[in-house]
Amino acid sequence: MIEFNHVNKTYHNGTNALKNINLKIEQGEFVAVIGLSGAGKSTLIRCINRMHDITSGHLYVNHVDVSKLKGKQIRRFRRRIGMIFQSFNLVTRMSVIKNVLVSFVPDLPMWRKLTGVFTKEHKLKALEALDKVGILDKAYVRVDQLSGGQQQRVALARTLAQNPDILLADEPIASLDPVTSKLVMDDFKTINQTMKISVIMNIHHVEIALEYADRIIGVREGEIVFDGAADQVTKETLDNIYGSKSNETPFLAEAN
Amino acid sequence: MFDKWFPPKKMVLPNGKIVLEKRSRLPLTLLTLAAVTALSVNLTGFSLHVLFTRIRQFFIILGEMIPPKWSYTPQLWGALLDTLQMSVLGSMIGALLALPFALLASFNVIRNKAVVTIFKVMLSLLRTLPTLVTALIATFVFGLGPTAGLVAILLFTLSYVGKLLYEQIENVDMGSFEAMESIGMTRVQAFRYAIFPEVLPRYLSTTLFCFEGNVRYAAILGYVGAGGIGLLINENLGWRDYPRVGMIILSLGVTVYVIETISEHFRKKLN
Amino acid sequence: MTTIEKQLLASPRNHRYVLTVAAIVLILLAWSLSAVSFKDVNQNGLAIALNILKGIVHPDLDLLFSVSKQSVLYLLVQTTAIAFLGTLVGAVLSVPLAFLAASNIMPKPIAWLTRMLLIMIRTIPALVYGLMFIRVSGPGPFAGVLTIGLTSIGMLSKLYVDAIEELDKKVLESMTSIGCTTFEKIRYGIIPQLFSLFLSVTIYRFDMNMREASILGLVGAGGIGAPLIFAMNSYKWNQVGSILIGLVILILLIEWFSNKLRSKLVQG
Repeated sequence: MIEFNHVNKTYHNGTNALKNINLKIEQGEFVAVIGLSGAGKSTLIRCINRMHDITSGHLYVNHVDVSKLKGKQIRRFRRRIGMIFQSFNLVTRMSVIKNVLVSFVPDLPMWRKLTGVFTKEHKLKALEALDKVGILDKAYVRVDQLSGGQQQRVALARTLAQNPDILLADEPIASLDPVTSKLVMDDFKTINQTMKISVIMNIHHVEIALEYADRIIGVREGEIVFDGAADQVTKETLDNIYGSKSNETPFLAEAN
Repeated sequence: MFDKWFPPKKMVLPNGKIVLEKRSRLPLTLLTLAAVTALSVNLTGFSLHVLFTRIRQFFIILGEMIPPKWSYTPQLWGALLDTLQMSVLGSMIGALLALPFALLASFNVIRNKAVVTIFKVMLSLLRTLPTLVTALIATFVFGLGPTAGLVAILLFTLSYVGKLLYEQIENVDMGSFEAMESIGMTRVQAFRYAIFPEVLPRYLSTTLFCFEGNVRYAAILGYVGAGGIGLLINENLGWRDYPRVGMIILSLGVTVYVIETISEHFRKKLN
Repeated sequence: MTTIEKQLLASPRNHRYVLTVAAIVLILLAWSLSAVSFKDVNQNGLAIALNILKGIVHPDLDLLFSVSKQSVLYLLVQTTAIAFLGTLVGAVLSVPLAFLAASNIMPKPIAWLTRMLLIMIRTIPALVYGLMFIRVSGPGPFAGVLTIGLTSIGMLSKLYVDAIEELDKKVLESMTSIGCTTFEKIRYGIIPQLFSLFLSVTIYRFDMNMREASILGLVGAGGIGAPLIFAMNSYKWNQVGSILIGLVILILLIEWFSNKLRSKLVQG
């Protein structure tokens, strides 16, 4: 469970990115965060695993007060939360399986960390994760030879190997074509439903958000302006989230 | 081959799927490298002990070069200018000769496969010989002096610019070439108007880049008697007159720097 | 004036610029011509040229294939050993220098100073280093190794720096989210990115060093250069022929091998 209590976030340059956020996300939910670029979507997600510090208020993840964690505690805390990025963030010169194995690195003894020799058990876990996202046959291929969609699946497998409770996704399909986007979104949905992992996702494509997510959170200028089930979203809601002219916003046209 | 000697390991997933994991080549590679290194150390007499105990000598010589002997400058000019003349002329003639050579080595301009192969082989053979070896041979044929150096630089430029040029010609889009042939131009004319304008900027910039390197090379050619400032380096090192060597290196450094700056300016314009 | 004539006049007029550059080039050419004189080329020169050709066609096979310490084969292996070890020394020295010279991880003044040092190292010709190192290690291949090592630094560190400055830092962000420490990020995020690039550059330099190592013998720093100059000075053309043949074949072989290895590294 994730709980935001009067959370505020101000950047060093004075930008007020989050204003008095109150939010509760239960284990196993599929939440899509929508809003204009710069509305604070990314900041909201990145506070959850402490990639960003909050300025005031309280943020609890599974009853842990996130802002009180320090050094090693933060790293241990992050082990339970997977994160997916728009640009995949893989080491493209390494093979697929090696990229997935990186997620075990923090738990390894020192000599294994140095030499990069992994146990058979870890290799099997990595292969299993790859199988779950359907790219088992690419395990020993170098990442730079894969398509964008396949690369995002490698990133998914890497977070699955972590065995997380929560999956954060920051614009996971923004650099993918429409067809591949669907495939990757299907993967997210399967993971969410079969493994009961909470998914919290920033997303530009409203249509896709409405299709896949159970719950929509609309953010405008650092404030939550909508929070409800996907089927409650109306045109007025979207107008409110995106300013008055949602029909003219390019991403909506794109999604149609 | 490798997979035959070290068959891939079978990985069985809990759900029964089987993946073949190829054996890592790292251990074998490391072993080979270590063996080659050991062999090389043996063959060259490399010794860290000697290096650490005697490296001071190197810095002593370096120290003697500073400060350089300024009064030596007037005697340098002649040799320095010789070096420059060698590299200017060698680069220009070499680059000009590279044009027909590159043409004859491009498969999309010349239809005769034998001609293309012969010229390609010639260019790569020329490129193989180190410039100093070419210069050495040239001193026997053309006598001691800048002419030998000139020939060596010319040949190197020809091979370097020629290779890059034919690679470029072969990568040019042939559409416009065919269009020009179709309006009745000969192959030579079509080359002049379709391919030449495309490759000209890169050709000039390659030549300039080669010229920069040639000035450095020309500076040492005197060592085998092929004229220029290398002769003086050789003499003064022989007499252990290190302040003079320092002065020569300083003047050379300045010259190379000036030439590289000018050449870089023009190369940026060409791109 | 018709529009066509106007367009004609409006065409970019850099004629003056092009003419000036052309004139300067021509003047340089004319001035350089004084360097050439063919007065020393006589019957003798032609005869020698012919003899060299004859020597290449009829090489001293005994010298080429025997396995004594004077044979071409042994000397070529030694030359390769000089180039290999020199490249290794150069690479080991270049890695820390490259990190010091990378402006995206080092403070500006340190990066600038390191770059200056690299330029100075590059200025001194290889043969001069060769003669200086002979004072350290005595004549022989060891001096050659040290020379190749030092002269490789200039190019190697410059290309290493390029690789470091193009590092993809987004990977590190995702490793942070996994919970990795700085050490783990360097080991699994940075080193894998740099390793194959560094290796590819180093192999390329090894290829170049083959040529360098084959001339160092001229100053007494080991390898095939010295026997070549002895053979020429004593007019033993079929020995010259066998040395040249061996050298060309070896260099071509290594070039081919290096190209193959590097394209494999790039494409995986």
